[in-house]
Amino acid sequence: MNRDLTTAQAAGLISCHSCHLLCERGKQSWDRICPRCGASLHDRKPNSIARTWALVLAAIILYIPANVLPITVVISLGKAQADTIMSGVIYFLHTGMWPIGLIIFLASIFIPMLKLLALIFLLISVQRKSNWRQQDRARLYRIVEIIGRWSMVDIFVVTILVALVHLGGLATIHAGPGVLFFGAVVVITIFAAMSFDPRLIWDTEEVSHE
Amino acid sequence: MSNSKKDRPELKGLPEPEFRKKKRRISIVWLVPLLALAVGGWLVYKAISEKGPTITITFKAATGLEAGKTKIKYKDVELGLVDSIELDDKLSQVILKAELVKKAENFLSENTRFWVVRAQVAAGSVSGLGTLFSGAYIGLDPGKPGRPTTHFKGLEIPPVVTTDQPGSHFVLRAASLGSLHIGDPVYFRRIEVGQVVSHKLDQDGQAVTVEVFINDPHHELVRKNTRFWNASGLDVSIGADGIRVDTESFVTLMIGGIAFDTPVEQEAVEPAAENHVFKLYKNRESISEKTYVRKTRWMLNFDGGVRGLNTGAPVELQGIQIGHVLDVNLEFDIDKEAFTIPVLVEIEPDRIKAIGDFPESAERPRIMDHLVGKGLRAQLKTGSLITGQLLVALDMHPEAPPANINWEGLYPEFPTVPTSMEEITTSLAQLLNKFEKLPIEQIGNDLRDTVSGAKRLMNSPDLQKSITALNETLNQAQKFVAALNTSIAPELKSAVSNLNSALIQAQKLAKSLNSDVAPQADRTLKELQSAARSIKVWAEYLERHPEALIRGKGKSKRR
Repeated sequence: MNRDLTTAQAAGLISCHSCHLLCERGKQSWDRICPRCGASLHDRKPNSIARTWALVLAAIILYIPANVLPITVVISLGKAQADTIMSGVIYFLHTGMWPIGLIIFLASIFIPMLKLLALIFLLISVQRKSNWRQQDRARLYRIVEIIGRWSMVDIFVVTILVALVHLGGLATIHAGPGVLFFGAVVVITIFAAMSFDPRLIWDTEEVSHE
Repeated sequence: MSNSKKDRPELKGLPEPEFRKKKRRISIVWLVPLLALAVGGWLVYKAISEKGPTITITFKAATGLEAGKTKIKYKDVELGLVDSIELDDKLSQVILKAELVKKAENFLSENTRFWVVRAQVAAGSVSGLGTLFSGAYIGLDPGKPGRPTTHFKGLEIPPVVTTDQPGSHFVLRAASLGSLHIGDPVYFRRIEVGQVVSHKLDQDGQAVTVEVFINDPHHELVRKNTRFWNASGLDVSIGADGIRVDTESFVTLMIGGIAFDTPVEQEAVEPAAENHVFKLYKNRESISEKTYVRKTRWMLNFDGGVRGLNTGAPVELQGIQIGHVLDVNLEFDIDKEAFTIPVLVEIEPDRIKAIGDFPESAERPRIMDHLVGKGLRAQLKTGSLITGQLLVALDMHPEAPPANINWEGLYPEFPTVPTSMEEITTSLAQLLNKFEKLPIEQIGNDLRDTVSGAKRLMNSPDLQKSITALNETLNQAQKFVAALNTSIAPELKSAVSNLNSALIQAQKLAKSLNSDVAPQADRTLKELQSAARSIKVWAEYLERHPEALIRGKGKSKRR
């Protein structure tokens, strides 16, 4: 990976995040603003690692109630049944609809978990200034960023179910409190992925940044 | 390519960034995990603080129960959820693990009862129909406060009353259960005021204990002297007073029940306390019998047959029942070579109200001795001619031979007089006695005198004369008849033949009349009959309304 590449940082330059104007880095390394659009100038996303850590931690905390609390409450003939994500998956597997079960399992349990683990791995490897398989780690980051939003599938399923199934006394579906936490996990992990600056993966070659 | 920008002329002359003063601070983004932590912590706290006790309930079978779905409810409020259903080690029962809400901790005690609520259709009621759709649930009754526990034995039969229901429990003891069931109604003056809560056989199997619950305003009607009786089904009794059919209500006819009443003749007694023990009488009749505590037993020895005398037959004094027959035996006295029938009777002396003052010193035996001395005797009487039931009647028989009460033996022996049937034979004997006493000798003498008088009359000469005269007259009559024979006989013969033909003709006429006239005559007779009837009606009408003769028959009758 150690090809001889020029980065803006190495060249003493800085690019505006919003209008992409290329500036001098200047003497001061903080509180710089873009002379053209007035946006803050940063070498890297500011406070990237700390922010990502914070969001990842928040997501991990919220991941627990998201899976423990029921996401749907099905009231059928006066009989209420609360389902968590996992019990729904098991239900689908038991009733032979394993493709649906698999999709829900992947989208709602596996992917959020994968995202969180991947982000933690990236954060730790960046903090340790590891040179190990930088390209693969960059690819991992891209995957995390792309597939993260698909976890919202589950939220959409619940939303549609709640909206459609209103058969009075026969059957009604309510959204459980788990939905809220699950949605929060998905959104926060998306933010976490966004706040992580992939350039940090490559910064190990240069000593100074920020 | 070099890394240094000094070597890149096109990058020179780029603008310098401006600066603004800004304090360094901790990133706001840390609020997000803090918030998540707060929410998560709150959830954990809530879960822990709301986590109620986990209990185990054992049932014989888990029919209709589902782990994770079956709820525990009290007054239809959800108090918990069944977590798991497992069999015990011996496979003899199921163990339910259930988690209750925090509040349940306060009232769970050893007295708390659990049972499965299912749809039930019985003769008297239909309940739990809602469970047909929602599935069975476990009912809970907190019960009275007691030692806290988390292991419970589920009731197989739902309890009839729950603790919160105002009212009182009472305990009834009966010889047999009759047709009672749990949940059967308890009536007071045919109003349903309570229910049978439970029944169980005593340890020794000698009696049955029935627990009843009387609802709130009515439980005060239960006094200490209240009588409960079994109103189950139909009570048909054949006794000395004929056939009786008795029932409390149609429902009790179908499913049984208990009724109670408080005797009115006694003063108001204080209400009975909770779980007061009463005797459950077998029917309404028997409640009045037992109001008399004091009982005396007497032995009656009857010589004649006692066919129709059953145990339980009434003992009456002047036609009022004062006791009943306990036992009828047959004894053979080897020395006397005679059969006797000892009848053991129970008499409630308190049924007889004493008017006037007994001398304080007068003891019961002496009063009885005195009464017997005056002619009080026991006698078998036919109570009902239809059923042939006998009863024991105590009555004054002043003419009876003197007797005494034999106070020796287990029971005092009361003197008896023979049965009515025996009496008839006795009176027949008496009649014979009277015949015996008739002055037959004198009658014979009189008869002989009459005969000698007649003899004298026959031997008198007047009679001789009369007889000769009679002889002459008879001779003349004979002659006259002979003359008649010769002269009148031929004419008589022709007359007879004429009469014969006339009779034949009459017979013919009668025949024709029979065929031609008879139907007409029949009709005429019928008309005559109806005419007679209408005349009768008219006459009756006239009798009631004589004015009709003048005013005519009124068209509209006013009554």
